[in-house]
Amino acid sequence: MASDGGAARQRAQSVTRYALARLALAVPTLAGILILVFLLLHLAPGSPVSAMGGESGRRVSARAAEEMRKQYGLDRPLPERFGAWVGRVARLDLGTSFVDRQPVSLRIRQALPYTLLLNGLALLLTLAIAIPLGVAAGGRPDGPLDRISAPVLFALYSLPTFWAALLLQTLFSVRLGWLPLCCVASDTAPGGLAGVGDRLAHLALPVTCLTYGSLAFFARLVRSGVVEARRQEFVLAARARGASPRRALWAHAFRNALLPLITVLGLILPALLSGSVIVEKIFAWPGLGRLYFDSILARDYPVVLGLSLLGAVATLLVTLAADLAYAMADPRVRDGTEAR
Amino acid sequence: MSAEFLAAGPSVVPARRRLSGSGSAALAVVVALWIVAAFSPLFSARAAEIRLGERLQAPSAAHPLGTDDLGRDLLARIVVATPVSLGIGLTAAAVSLFVGFTVGGLAGYFGGAVDLLLSRLIEVVLCFPVLFLLLALAAFLPPTPLTVILAIGLTTWPGDARYARAEVLKVKDLDYTRAARAAGASTGRVLWRHLLPSVLPPLIVSAAFGVAWAILAEAALSFLGVGLPATTPSWGGILGVATSYVEEAWWLALFPGLALFLTVAAYNLLAEGLRAGASERGRT
Repeated sequence: MASDGGAARQRAQSVTRYALARLALAVPTLAGILILVFLLLHLAPGSPVSAMGGESGRRVSARAAEEMRKQYGLDRPLPERFGAWVGRVARLDLGTSFVDRQPVSLRIRQALPYTLLLNGLALLLTLAIAIPLGVAAGGRPDGPLDRISAPVLFALYSLPTFWAALLLQTLFSVRLGWLPLCCVASDTAPGGLAGVGDRLAHLALPVTCLTYGSLAFFARLVRSGVVEARRQEFVLAARARGASPRRALWAHAFRNALLPLITVLGLILPALLSGSVIVEKIFAWPGLGRLYFDSILARDYPVVLGLSLLGAVATLLVTLAADLAYAMADPRVRDGTEAR
Repeated sequence: MSAEFLAAGPSVVPARRRLSGSGSAALAVVVALWIVAAFSPLFSARAAEIRLGERLQAPSAAHPLGTDDLGRDLLARIVVATPVSLGIGLTAAAVSLFVGFTVGGLAGYFGGAVDLLLSRLIEVVLCFPVLFLLLALAAFLPPTPLTVILAIGLTTWPGDARYARAEVLKVKDLDYTRAARAAGASTGRVLWRHLLPSVLPPLIVSAAFGVAWAILAEAALSFLGVGLPATTPSWGGILGVATSYVEEAWWLALFPGLALFLTVAAYNLLAEGLRAGASERGRT
């Protein structure tokens, strides 16, 4: 019993040590992200800030220029400006949009729920299909399910999102008239339960488009993890102890195939935001992706850079969380006994 | 040391790669696409011919795949766009591989502080959503093919860099590298003449996936209207036009997308085949 307590303490210590080392690495990355966004803000061709001194490529109203000058304190040296900018960013002050003069953080807050809804649903659906499919296909490699699903998943993986979206719109909205072409809800959306149905109908096509690509990726990942784990001795040992094939597959092989899934879930955030740009643009979905795209076209630098910063910092935090979760789950990582 | 060298042997010594059945089929499709690209100039006159009287015509004997919003022949436009897509895909992947190998190779080769610094750089760029960076570069630079190539290459290199770093780490302390260093070869020479050839086979797998991704990225940019200028025919550009005619012209959405899908799938399948061949070789 006493030795058990010692082991637990040792485990906690090694987790803490790993967490601190991992955090120490994230600090310079965060600094790098801040410096990169700051430099982009000042070097982007045609940006009001960079165009101030000389011949301007883009026209910017005198008021906006004056505002920028005040906001970025152009008369002060670059490092001082950087420090002041970081201070404002830390207070979530990302400046004011050129387009509607609203604070950038407010515009982001307005669009965020839509993107969370769309991507959250898509991710749930992806995992709900990919995990059972991957485990079943990996449980019997080269079995009938594996042979059928492999080429289908491969085709889905190579299918361009925007093309799939166009075809789905043509088929389900124009030809069959089953699903709406775009937007969040009908103009004359009924209330109550019918209103929920209307919302779901509007979600169907964009969620499908966001799901199928990552579905292929996740299902293949789970499958190869399960195939790999089935070869290991502990699965054979479980079978030898009398575990049913089903139990050996789910409780032993799948549990170990879950490990790489943690890392990938950490890396999926930037991919989701990228996918959101295209899907939200096509389906006129008022989320972060569409806000980003519209702001690019409008040369609305504060919004573009605010969103980039938000995306990068969120990715950094999620990756950090995933790495820590991985270290908790797999002692080999935190002890450095196995290079990842 | 010698046992370690022998263990690492098969993955280091370049050997003939064997492609699987599907990999060979994919290679055949890629070759066929390049042949189409080679003959595409024959179609350029037809692709540019505007006939407003024949706009948005459904597929027929005269226009096998129909016509676009300006009455141009869709088949000719798809053929003329082929070398554009393939060329941009290949060069953008090459840019990515070059930058990736330089950064990742230096990080792996020197280790220590250099590695720590370059790895942070790789991590910083990886934190940004690729399409965010891509859109920003493509939209803020003048719309030319060169811009598109650079934008794609300069946003996708971190993946190649991670890969190159890991591969260089595997071979940098092998005997032949040490021998090259002992013989007085410069760092650049060791990196490019000794390490690159041995890490190239796995990097080529990553590059083949890179070509597929670059073709897709170019199409996405042109689709969104921030890629190639409207005067350059491209599959993504035609698909972008098709969004305005979802109700009238299904062929405008179907055929260019089919060409894009076929190309991307062929390159992905080729990459899979190369990877399978490489890992088989590593196991024996």
